[in-house]
Amino acid sequence: MLRVLLINDTDKPIGELCQTLIENGYDVLPLVATSRALSEAVKQQKPDIVIVDTESPSRDTLEQLALMHSSAPRPVVMFSHDADQHLISAAVGAGVTTYVVDGLAPERLAPILTVALARFAAESRLRQRLATVENELADRKVIDRAKGLLMDKRKMSEAEAYETLRNQSMKQGMKIAEIARQIIAMADLLT
Amino acid sequence: MTSLPTSLSAVTDVTSSAPPERPHLRIGYVALIDSAPLIVAKQMGFDQRHGITLELYQQPSWAAIRDKLLSGELDAAQTLYGLVYGVQIGLGGPQADMAILMTLNRNGQAITVSNQLADQLKEGQSLRAALKTLGRKPVFAQTFPTGTHAMWLNYWLAANGIHPVSDVESIVIPPPQMPEALAHGELDGFCAGEPWHAVAEHNKSGRTIVSSSQIWPDHPEKALACRREFAALYPNTVQALIRAMLESCQWIEATENKWQLSTWLAQPEYLHLAQDLIQSRLVGRRLDDENAERGSNLPIRFFTDATTNYPLPADGLWFLSQFYRWGLLKSTSDWDAIVNQVCQTALYTQATQQLELTLEPTKTTEIQFIDGQIWDGHDAVSYAKQFTINAVS
Repeated sequence: MLRVLLINDTDKPIGELCQTLIENGYDVLPLVATSRALSEAVKQQKPDIVIVDTESPSRDTLEQLALMHSSAPRPVVMFSHDADQHLISAAVGAGVTTYVVDGLAPERLAPILTVALARFAAESRLRQRLATVENELADRKVIDRAKGLLMDKRKMSEAEAYETLRNQSMKQGMKIAEIARQIIAMADLLT
Repeated sequence: MTSLPTSLSAVTDVTSSAPPERPHLRIGYVALIDSAPLIVAKQMGFDQRHGITLELYQQPSWAAIRDKLLSGELDAAQTLYGLVYGVQIGLGGPQADMAILMTLNRNGQAITVSNQLADQLKEGQSLRAALKTLGRKPVFAQTFPTGTHAMWLNYWLAANGIHPVSDVESIVIPPPQMPEALAHGELDGFCAGEPWHAVAEHNKSGRTIVSSSQIWPDHPEKALACRREFAALYPNTVQALIRAMLESCQWIEATENKWQLSTWLAQPEYLHLAQDLIQSRLVGRRLDDENAERGSNLPIRFFTDATTNYPLPADGLWFLSQFYRWGLLKSTSDWDAIVNQVCQTALYTQATQQLELTLEPTKTTEIQFIDGQIWDGHDAVSYAKQFTINAVS
């Protein structure tokens, strides 16, 4: 069940929104009305979604939580008065966390949450893939350096150097990049 | 210092410049003493003198300023200096190409701590020792994760041997809520703009122990920013805006105008606070001597013979160095290119020439920070990497 935190610090009424969320099976956490309470609630209760008005003064608090804690909930869904479904999908599609919806119209909320979450999932998949590629690149650099050391110090050919790394990796049950890091660390010690 | 005409308005010839492409501009700001240039431009009609009409929109958060700049709902805005670079490199939010048109002010921010901490510091305890006596993680508030106050707070804590990421809890709350949160013991201290320190001291919620100019003398604070595309599409408009702002900045710094300025700022549609609180922070003041840390406590600057406002790329490099230091920015490549593209030095220079304000770009000199470190505007990556207290993973 999705855990939803609503911030109630502008004068827009949110009672109906709360009710609809509950009827639609969302787990609505106790409302928070101050930025300080928001920080605490996000840490303690770990909501999946935070719903905040575009004009809420608590938005910068959410920025801090999102940037400083990778476990903080995202996306942050925001509502203001103007209605334009196109704007919503365009904004979400572009990865912008702000979009506009008819003054807190509850019947529109569920699909929006779905879309926003789908968008977030896609974004985090992309981020994960980028991290993997970056790691692979870093590993390759380390392996190249270790090969270079072996070629230089042991007068091996490149193929022999790689073979040595691979054999060690299999013998010790470690990744080739790990073996390469050990060799580089040892070489640094010995020079 | 370059010699300058004593009054910009005396030499302004608005007819000599090309007409603005966009006569109406929507400008965002957050209610602070720092927003004075925008409010004065409106009140004094400096916008009209340069063929533009400014519509000012007060914003409840910096996030709202950013989103509305990016969506085009605002054309330009007063922003935290660091925020512009946060958006430029896409930290924690959408990435967009940004432009800094000019620096709106330097100095004028501060750190206020609880009375209990202030007493301990006054008795000669180190900040580190004083925070230890709390028996829990200290809580400090600032205004935006990539903003100026976050960086001043981090720098000051680190200068006192305290790791701002692991030793304290750094939270963001809106500055108007900070004095009350401090009074209720929800915060141990906060770093923000004025007049919120004046409010905290007035309410006896806490005491101001360090001004931001003691951390970095004459640091850049608020920037006038827009999307880079906007500056490229409407160069004449942007220059008219810069000229109107420069006139405002010069007007603000004349001593005889301070009273009028505080009257305007105090109005309900702007800061909605007592005028004397605001007035007290428009003029330089001495911190309580026994509490004052070393370094000079300089007044807020808006103009200072036009040396305040140049959009200096080296100022941007410093923010990148701190983003790197605190683990927000991983990459060390292209920093010079990033800041040179953000800082609209050509537009700014052209705008000042039309005011017959021919100035050499402000020379970056060696600046000594509160921890004794020197920043000379060169080799920002090496500078970023030499801090012993850091969060580089």
